Amino acid sequence: MVLNNKKVNIFLLIIGIILFIFLPRFISGYWVRVITTIFMYAVISQGINLMSGYMGYLPFGNAMFFGIGAYVTAIGMSKGLPFLVVVPLAAITAILFSIIFGLPVLRLRGHYFAIATIGISGALLSVVQNATEITGGAMGTTLPIIDKSPEITYNYFYLAMLALMVITTLTIYLVIKSKFGFGIRSIKANEEAANSMGINTTYHKVTAWAISALFTSIAGALYAYWMSFIGPEEVFDVMIAVNTIVIMLIGGAGSILGPIIGAFVIELFSEVVWSSFLEYHLAVLGITIIIIVFFVPKGITGTIADFVKKRELRLRKKVSV
Amino acid sequence: MSLQMLINAILLGGLYALMGIGFSLQWGISGIINLSYGAMVILGSYISLEFFNLFHLDPFISMIISGAILFVIGAAIYRTLLQPFLKGGIVFTIILTFAVRLIVENIILKVWSADYRTIRLTYAGSNFQFGDAYIPLIKFLAFLVAAVLIYLTYLFMMKTKIGKGIQAVALDKEGAQAVGMDVEKMYLINFALGTALAGLTGSLWASIYSFSPHLLGPIVGKVFIIAILGGLGNIWGAAAGGLLLGIAETAGAVFLGSEWQEAIGMVIMVSVLLWRPYGLMGKKFFG
Amino acid sequence: MGENNIILKIKTLSKHFGALKAVDEVSFEVKKGEIVGLIGPNGAGKTTLTNLVTGASPKTAGKVIFKDLDISNLKPYQIARNGLTRTFQVVKPLIGMTVEENVLVGSLFGRDKRNTDMKNASKRAREIIKLVGLESKKDSSVSDITLPDLKKMEFARVLAMEPEVLFLDEVMAGLNPAEVEEASILVKRVRREKELTIVYIEHIMKAVMGISDRIVVLHHGRKIVEGTPQEVVNNSAVIEAYLGKRYTKEVNNEG
Repeated sequence: MVLNNKKVNIFLLIIGIILFIFLPRFISGYWVRVITTIFMYAVISQGINLMSGYMGYLPFGNAMFFGIGAYVTAIGMSKGLPFLVVVPLAAITAILFSIIFGLPVLRLRGHYFAIATIGISGALLSVVQNATEITGGAMGTTLPIIDKSPEITYNYFYLAMLALMVITTLTIYLVIKSKFGFGIRSIKANEEAANSMGINTTYHKVTAWAISALFTSIAGALYAYWMSFIGPEEVFDVMIAVNTIVIMLIGGAGSILGPIIGAFVIELFSEVVWSSFLEYHLAVLGITIIIIVFFVPKGITGTIADFVKKRELRLRKKVSV
Repeated sequence: MSLQMLINAILLGGLYALMGIGFSLQWGISGIINLSYGAMVILGSYISLEFFNLFHLDPFISMIISGAILFVIGAAIYRTLLQPFLKGGIVFTIILTFAVRLIVENIILKVWSADYRTIRLTYAGSNFQFGDAYIPLIKFLAFLVAAVLIYLTYLFMMKTKIGKGIQAVALDKEGAQAVGMDVEKMYLINFALGTALAGLTGSLWASIYSFSPHLLGPIVGKVFIIAILGGLGNIWGAAAGGLLLGIAETAGAVFLGSEWQEAIGMVIMVSVLLWRPYGLMGKKFFG
Repeated sequence: MGENNIILKIKTLSKHFGALKAVDEVSFEVKKGEIVGLIGPNGAGKTTLTNLVTGASPKTAGKVIFKDLDISNLKPYQIARNGLTRTFQVVKPLIGMTVEENVLVGSLFGRDKRNTDMKNASKRAREIIKLVGLESKKDSSVSDITLPDLKKMEFARVLAMEPEVLFLDEVMAGLNPAEVEEASILVKRVRREKELTIVYIEHIMKAVMGISDRIVVLHHGRKIVEGTPQEVVNNSAVIEAYLGKRYTKEVNNEG
C-alpha cells in the first residue's frame, strides 16, 4: 500500500466501496456485467494469490473449485433448495475437496504441485461430464431463472459479487497479517527452515488451500446462478486459472490489492481488444502478457512500491548529506 | 484385450512416446514447463500440410523441414523470451509459454482456420496381416520412424559432445559451469531440440490423423502425463510413459468407454506423482 | 526432569543410505545446562545426526528422548515447539522478509505459548534482536545483509523460539577469526542469560575446545570418543582417526 496512514487507507477504501455500490446507476447494463465479471476474476485471483503470491504453491487447477461451486449450486437448486442454502453447501463441498486432495498433493513441491492440481481438475471435469444423471453431462445444465427484470437481476449479482470481492480481500488481508500469514510466508521463503521453526507446514498449506477453495467456490456459485446455464468445459476450464494467474502477476503477486487492480486492467483491456481486434484477440492477449512480464515483472503494485522506496532512499540520502 | 487392440495401443503409444520426449527434456533439463508445446506439435502438422499441398511432399519427408523450422523457432523463443526469466520462478515461464501458445494458436486459426485438416496419402489404406490382427502400413511406418528418432535422440545425448554437455548441465549445473561449459548454450540447444521433436511428431501425426487447433490443449495434457510417468528429462522413461499412456487410453476406451479416455490419463498421472514424485524411472535430482 | 538432570538422550541412532552408514549406532546424553561439542572431520555424520535428532530426516533405527518424551517419530515443527531447535550449516533466511520479521516468525511459532499473539511476539522479537546486536539492521531485508549478520539473525531467530536445547550447526563457518571471536562471546553470554543447553557442531576442533564442557567425536558415522576437552585432545584414537589422519594427509600433500 502506498499510503502508510491506516485511517486514510480505511477512509479511501470505504469511499471506493460506496462509489462501486452506486456505479450501476450511471453505466449501461453491458458495463454492469463486465464489472461483475471483473469482481469475479478478482475473487478467484485472490485465491491464487494466497496460494502462489504468499505461499509459493501455484494452484494451476484452482478452476476445479469454481466448477465445484457452480455445479453444487446447479444441482442443489434443481432439487428445489434455495440459493442461500446451496451456497454454504457449495463452499463446504469445495473445502472438503481441498482437504482430501490437499493432504496428499500439497506434499509435492513446485512444478509437481501445479501439475497435480491440473490433473485433479481434469479428472473432476471428466467425472462431471460423464455423471449425466446428476450433472446433466457434457451438454451442461440449467438453473432456475430469477423472476425479475434482467436489469434488477444483474444489479443483484453486481452487488453480490462486489460484496464477495470485498469480503474475500478483507479476509485474506487479515489472514496475511496474522500469525497464520507469517506461517505461509515462511513456507514460501524456505519450507525446510519454516518446519524447523515450529511451523506445522502441512496444516498451513492445507488450510490456505481451503480458504482459497472457499472463496473460489462461492464465486462459482454466484456465477452459476447469474448465468442460469453452465457447462462443464466452461466452469472447469484451465483458462480460468491461467487468466487469474495473469491477473495476479499484472496486479502484483503477494500484494493484497494486486488481484483487484490486475482484474480491472486485464479485463477492461480485453474488452477493448475483443471489440477492436476480434480476429486477433488471442495474439493480442499473448503479446500483452509478454510485454507485461518484460516491463512490469513485479506487477503494478510491486512497481509502485519500488518507485516509492527508491524515492524515499533518495530523500534520505539528501537529508544525510 | 485382443491382439488387435494391443497393436493399436502400441502404435499410438509410439507416437505419444516421441511427442512426450521433447516436452520431458524441456521440463526436466531446461526447467521450463512449455505450455506452447501443443502449438508446436500442431505447427509441425500444418507445415507438412503446406508442403503436401504445394509440392505433394510426403510428410515422412517434410518432417525434416518441420523439425528444422521448429528447432529455430524453439531456439528463438528460448533466447528472447524464456532465458531472461529463468530465475523468476515457474510462474513466469509458465505464463510466457502460454502467451506463445496464444499467439501461435491465433496465427494457425487465421492462416488455416479452425477446421480439421487431413493429408490423404495414396498408401493410406494399405494393411498387412500379423497373426489375427491387421496392421495399417502407415501407422506402422510412423511407429518405426518414431522409434528411430527416439533412438537418435538418445544417441545424440549419449555420444555427441553437445549431448554429453547437456547431460552434465542437467546433473550438476555449478560443476559444469566450473569446468568452463557454456551452460546457457546447453539449455538453449536442449530446448530447441525439444521443440524440434514436437514438430517431427506433428508431421508424423499429420500423416495418420486429422488435426486442428482444437488439439492444442489435449496434447499438452498428454505430454504432461507422459513426462510425469517417465520421470522428467529421462528419454527412455518418456518413451515408456508414452507407450503406457497409449495402452491405458486404449484399454480405458474399451473397458470404460471412450468418454473416460482423458480422465484415465489424469488419474494415472496424479497417482504416479503421489506414489513416486519423480516418475517411474526418474532420478531424484530432476525437478 | 529425569535422573541426573539429563535433558536429551540419543540411543543407538542410525541412518543408512543404502550401504553407506552415515550415522551408525550413535548414543550419548546431554545434561541440562551443558555445552556439548560434537566434532568430527567433514563427512563424519554431524549434520546428518542433527537432522535425525530434529526430525528433518527419517532415521533408520534408534531413539531420541527429550525431557522424558520420546521424540523419535515427531515432525520437525513438533520437536521445535517442544523446545529443541537448530540452526543450519548453510544459513536459511526467510527471503522476502525483514530481519525483524524473520525473528518474529521464530517468536510466533516457538515454545512459549504467551507469544502466540502478535503484540507479545513482536515485543519479544525486538528484545532478542537487541540481545544479539542487530538493532540497526532490523528493518533491512535479509537479502541485503552480510553473512555475519545473517548468522546473528539466524541465532536470534532460534533464540526467539525459547528453546531449551539448541543445536548450533557450524555457526562459525565462513566467518573470519575476529568474527568467530565475537560470535563465541555472544554464544557464551546468551547461553548464560538464557540457561540454554547447547550441542555445538564443528569440524574445527580448536573452535569447540574453549567453549565445551564435554565433547563427542564422530568419525565415519560412529562415535569414537566422548569426554572432557582435555580427555579428547589426549585420546590416541582421536589423534589417529581425526587429527592424525588430517595431519598426515597435509604432510603428504605438501611433500
